[in-house]
Amino acid sequence: MAVCIAVIAKENYPLYIRSVPSQNELKFHYTVHTSLDVVEEKVSAVGKSLADQRELYLGLLYPTEDYKVYGYVTNSKVKFVIVVDSSNTSLRDNEIRSMFRKLHNSFTDVMCNPFYNPGDPILSKAFNGIVSGMMVQTS
Amino acid sequence: ILRCGFPHRISFSLGHIRDPNNQLQTVKNLRICVNNVVTSPSTSSAALGTSQNRLLSEVVFSCQPQEGVQSTVMRTGDYNLNLSVTTPWFEAYRENFFQSMPASDHEFLNHYLACMLVVSSTEAVPVEQFLKLSQEQHRIQHSGEYTDPKWFIPNTLKYYVLLHDMNEGDEQRADMVYEDMKQRYGSHGCYLLKINSRASSPPEEDEQIPDPWSQYLHKQNLRNQVSTDEPHNMSRLHFNLFCFYMLEEGPGVSSCLDTHPLQLDADSSTGSLLTLSQVDSDAKTSTGDIDSLPAGGGHHGACLTLNDHDHIRQFIQEFTFRGLLPHIEKNIRQLNDQLVSRKGLSRSLFSATKKWFGGGKVPEKGISEPKSTYGIQYPPEAPELQIRKMADLCFLVQHYELAYSCYHTAKKDFLSDQAMLYAAGALEMAAVSAFLQGGAPRPYPGHYMETAIQTYRDVCKSMVLAERCALLSAEILKSQGKYSEAATLLIKMTSEDSDLRSALLLEQAAHCFINMRNPMVRKFAFHMILAGHRFSKAGQRRHALRCYTQAMQVYKDRGWSLAEDHINFTIGRQSFTLGQPENALLAFRQILINDSRQTATQQAAFLREYLYVVKVRSVLGENEGCLPQLPLPFIHSSATRVYFGHERRLAEGEKQAATDVSLDQEYDQDLSVLWCQLEEQLVASANQGILPNNFQPSQSCLNSQTDNLHHPLAVVEEPIIIEVTFRNPLKVSLLLSNLSLLWRFTTGTLSVGKESTSDQLLGEMITNENTLAGKVSILSKSRQQTLDSIIIRGRQDLQIQGPRLNLTKEDKMLVRHGTDRRLEPIITSPMPLMEVFFLQFPTALLCGEIRKAYVEFCNVSAVALCGLRVASTHPDFFTFGSQPNPGSTENCSAYATFPTPLQPDSMSPEMLVSAPDFSQPSGVTEIPILGSTLQPGESIQLPLWLRGPDREGVHEINFLFYYESTEKGPKISHRVLRHTVFICASRSLSVQASACRSSASPHHSVDDKGIGGTLVFIDVENVNASESDVHEFHIVQVSSSSQHWCLHKYINPYNNYDCRLSSRERAKLCFKAMRCTHVSASTSYLETFCVQIISSSTPCGDFFFRCLQSSEFQQVNLTTRTSFSSKSQGPPPTDTGSDITSIAKKCNEIDLNIIVIWKAYVVEDNKQLILEGQLHVALQTIGKEASSLIPKEEAPEMMLLRFKSDLPSSVILPYLELSQLIRTNLCYPETFTHPFVKDSLCLVPVTLTLSNCSLAQIDVIVELRHKSTSSESLEVHSSFAWVGQTQYKLQLGRREVVSLTLQACFFRAGVYNLNTPRVFAKPAEQSTMCEASQQTACPALIIINNACPLLS
Repeated sequence: MAVCIAVIAKENYPLYIRSVPSQNELKFHYTVHTSLDVVEEKVSAVGKSLADQRELYLGLLYPTEDYKVYGYVTNSKVKFVIVVDSSNTSLRDNEIRSMFRKLHNSFTDVMCNPFYNPGDPILSKAFNGIVSGMMVQTS
Repeated sequence: ILRCGFPHRISFSLGHIRDPNNQLQTVKNLRICVNNVVTSPSTSSAALGTSQNRLLSEVVFSCQPQEGVQSTVMRTGDYNLNLSVTTPWFEAYRENFFQSMPASDHEFLNHYLACMLVVSSTEAVPVEQFLKLSQEQHRIQHSGEYTDPKWFIPNTLKYYVLLHDMNEGDEQRADMVYEDMKQRYGSHGCYLLKINSRASSPPEEDEQIPDPWSQYLHKQNLRNQVSTDEPHNMSRLHFNLFCFYMLEEGPGVSSCLDTHPLQLDADSSTGSLLTLSQVDSDAKTSTGDIDSLPAGGGHHGACLTLNDHDHIRQFIQEFTFRGLLPHIEKNIRQLNDQLVSRKGLSRSLFSATKKWFGGGKVPEKGISEPKSTYGIQYPPEAPELQIRKMADLCFLVQHYELAYSCYHTAKKDFLSDQAMLYAAGALEMAAVSAFLQGGAPRPYPGHYMETAIQTYRDVCKSMVLAERCALLSAEILKSQGKYSEAATLLIKMTSEDSDLRSALLLEQAAHCFINMRNPMVRKFAFHMILAGHRFSKAGQRRHALRCYTQAMQVYKDRGWSLAEDHINFTIGRQSFTLGQPENALLAFRQILINDSRQTATQQAAFLREYLYVVKVRSVLGENEGCLPQLPLPFIHSSATRVYFGHERRLAEGEKQAATDVSLDQEYDQDLSVLWCQLEEQLVASANQGILPNNFQPSQSCLNSQTDNLHHPLAVVEEPIIIEVTFRNPLKVSLLLSNLSLLWRFTTGTLSVGKESTSDQLLGEMITNENTLAGKVSILSKSRQQTLDSIIIRGRQDLQIQGPRLNLTKEDKMLVRHGTDRRLEPIITSPMPLMEVFFLQFPTALLCGEIRKAYVEFCNVSAVALCGLRVASTHPDFFTFGSQPNPGSTENCSAYATFPTPLQPDSMSPEMLVSAPDFSQPSGVTEIPILGSTLQPGESIQLPLWLRGPDREGVHEINFLFYYESTEKGPKISHRVLRHTVFICASRSLSVQASACRSSASPHHSVDDKGIGGTLVFIDVENVNASESDVHEFHIVQVSSSSQHWCLHKYINPYNNYDCRLSSRERAKLCFKAMRCTHVSASTSYLETFCVQIISSSTPCGDFFFRCLQSSEFQQVNLTTRTSFSSKSQGPPPTDTGSDITSIAKKCNEIDLNIIVIWKAYVVEDNKQLILEGQLHVALQTIGKEASSLIPKEEAPEMMLLRFKSDLPSSVILPYLELSQLIRTNLCYPETFTHPFVKDSLCLVPVTLTLSNCSLAQIDVIVELRHKSTSSESLEVHSSFAWVGQTQYKLQLGRREVVSLTLQACFFRAGVYNLNTPRVFAKPAEQSTMCEASQQTACPALIIINNACPLLS
């Protein structure tokens, strides 16, 4: 279902980025990077006082011709970006939301690993597995 | 006939016009555009499109940003962007795009409004010409032959201009003609323009008047180059007629007024000049006649004086105010009247007819105009268009309010007619005029624009119109601050058909993103990249490069390596094609340096591109002198190792060179400390025991861990080897070939640098991690990099950063690095160089084995060396021997021997040896070479004895050879050579010795020199583990060394002289030791077997004393440690205690060293070998066992953990020890036969010998009363009694022996224990009587027989 899943650090560099192998990886890198602007816009749009109650899921960031880009920001300002094929209409908002939640849980597990150095690229196999699971269900 | 004109724009500061309601309307900044009438017979729209595209592309291409002018730094978030705020190329494009728009039927804005007819005064009959021109114009407008110049209103304003050249024609005649004209056309319809007052002169003499047309011409020239292609043939003719001197008057047939709102916005300059300019140079060259003229193509208006400028300005003013504006005013009024009159009936009529006939009307139009698929098309003068016409006119004279309402009405009409094109045009203009309306009574109708664009694009399929509309809309949105809408609009307008347009629009969109209130930097970057991509597709490389470079700022160093690589790659390519190979190299370099996550093929592509660029650059011959810096492979500069040393011969035959330092060895901190200590010892011993202040340990291999603060010293003519570690970060393999080191040599202060290459290493393939060594330093490495037969040559600098400083506070706060002078050696004068070889050096030894090897010292330099010394971590491992010993060398045995006859029970020979003969100062050995110097090329071989270490296992033994030059060098005082051997020691024999006092009476011994017979037991066990190799051990000899004792006699109960021990066998040897009288040191030795070994001579003695030294050293260490610990624990023991202890100790001290010399029969490779060796045992006290094997566990560490004080033990100790002070000996007949029948009392004389073992005076009390203390003794000696004196008090001097004769009285026969006397002893000085009962242990039995009276 997802064609690209990315985890971006607070400082806006990629911790993890993976896309379906069939398509141009570079394009997704650009897409994800560009989406960060929207993420920032959306995050800053929420007032400072409301920042605590802010919902982590940001919804559709922007649609391009071929893809829909969804965003999610953790409380520590780590961003998750999921790129979905536009043609895939079966995906509802709720499903995207649950994907993000799953991703967040897995990411938390990665961070809990005492051998993981925060800020390093994520190399965890478990995390990779979760991501693969989200991308594989395409069919 | 005359159609040659040029587009010009003229603007005015102010003008007035009256609107239909007679209200005065101000016209500001009106601009007039004068165009040549080109009646191109309707060119196909496609051709027009391409020519337009070419034109636009030229415009954009020619407009490049100036270097570093417009760039402003923008700071958003953590981004610092260097941007060019203005985009002149886009503005130029826009302007040209608007101008090159073909006039269309649905709008009138760029239709010609007036026509200027210009005739030269030199013309024969100017008036006739005017007539002709007028007719011509009429024909063009009304004949229908020409579609191209479109006219606004049927009756076009004609303005007649007589052009007079002041230098040429007759002025009066011109005036006359003008008068005539005035009468004919009215004074407001004609004008006499006098120009060219200045005589034509060569341009260089001209005073510099700024070119009045410069601000217009550059665009126009370009335009003309394109557009004059087609009407060439026609215009050529007319140039002949009307060209004068420098300034040719293009006799414009028509002028048209074509103002545009954006032009009004953009250019508000007041009072600009009329430009009636020269033909462009292209046209000029095609007209052969004016070739001869001094064609200063670059300068226009050279013949115009300032007066002429004023004339021109006046002319245009006149034209506008007297001719044009009234004309427009009149027309507006007319149109208004028409509309108002039509309103009443037409509205209802139109709608009614539409209702009735609507079904039929539209298809009818559709058939007549098959082209128009987008609704109906009106004929040019259709009444529906009148309102639009009026709106346009109002718009032109800036009456926006009226214009808006007209447009609005028109829009409604068109929409109801389904005339989509017209409706879109009206919508567009309605929006623009609403925007331009100053007071803004109504909100800007943004949806008008959207609808217009959509209609243009989707319904009318006219991309050009849509684009125009979008550009307008975007501009308006931008000026309203609606950047995101503008960006969306612009992005929407990009399409596949025009790359240039898409690129420009994307770039504008990007700028919109960055200009937003919350700048969207990443979107900006992304769209810049898209724009760059389109630019490059459109062939605008320079713009593409600029876009990519700007986008790069956002992506750089932020972890988006894939994107970064892509941008860098594109930048590299574009720069290269633009002829900037330096920038290309930088970009490619960046890709290769980055920790790339690309695939191997991608990396290979990058690399190939890079190599190609470098190659091309080198072919071009740029920078011939210096080679390019190569980014690959990485050099781990800190891992660089520098080795100062010559190429050593490693092995020569059976010679084995000293290991020394080599690059194969890993650096070991502990080891280097160890070597440093050894070197300190050596240097100290060479300098009379004092270490010089400026001592620096010599380092011959420098790496990141060594001390690199000082310049290393290298000796002239000796090689320096440098090891560089490369890493290839790519997944592609690199082929390195022809590696060589570049270096520079500087002499003294004169920095005469010379770069030179040396030594080449050929064909080294590095795959992933590889190290290789080149020779001679130091600047950098040059080498060739190959891939797919592209070979480039480049260099890489070796710069080593020192370790980070962390001493002072500043160091800790900042990141500072120390200096590293690894690669900056100082070359010194020649120094000697020695090589050391070892011959027959074993690798495995038995513990204590003695082996002879040879060592060869070789001076391989041209300088003599001296002061040869060696220090070792194991000084007891080897010896050079104290004196030359020629006799033993031939023998297979290592020992010097002399044969002795077999003499059992013979006295052991003694030999006096002075210990200093063998002693060595500390661990340093001076090597005894003849003459103490080694001349150049000379070599010397010395025997070297080795003794296997006492402990089994693998021993690492380090030798450090020291030598110095015969003449004192200024820089290097000495040199050293390291050698490390590993010796595997295996167990041989375990020797345990113990001594005990002999209980035999001293009188029994044959030649007793005093008292003190001591028995020494030596247990020898074969503990060799490998049973197969070592067959058996023979104990050859046991020697002793002591100052006070000597082994005296071998007690051999079995008369077995051959002591052989096969595996795990044990033998006990027993010796009698005697106190000897020699005061000096002595060695006595006792031969056990037939061959006598001189144990005092070289190898044996040497090793013995060396071992002694080292063990003593250890003991001293140990005792100092213990004493220290005891001191700290409490008060020292009392005087009495210590005194007694010392006395007691002394009496027990024996201090006897025993040397056991053995032979081992070993089978090795089916050969039997005889190995020899010796083991040392130091007997310290009587009763204690000493072993040759060093006990595994050592107590000293445990001592520190004691919690109790030492006091109790030190008190108890004396009593135990005091019991040893006096030795008692009962002497009596073993059996005594007494006839009890005769005499019931039997008296037996018993001699009690008391011998004082100590050196002190001892008071002794002997008590003969036997108090029955033990129950066991009761029954035995209840029947005998001592008679006579039963208590003796004696004083025994040192080592005195006293015999007391006692009498025992027995009553009956039996076995009695005579050992009942109790002896108490105390040192004489001791005031308190702390007696010690002396030894009473063993029973002294006597057998009393009853003599049978019958027998007797």
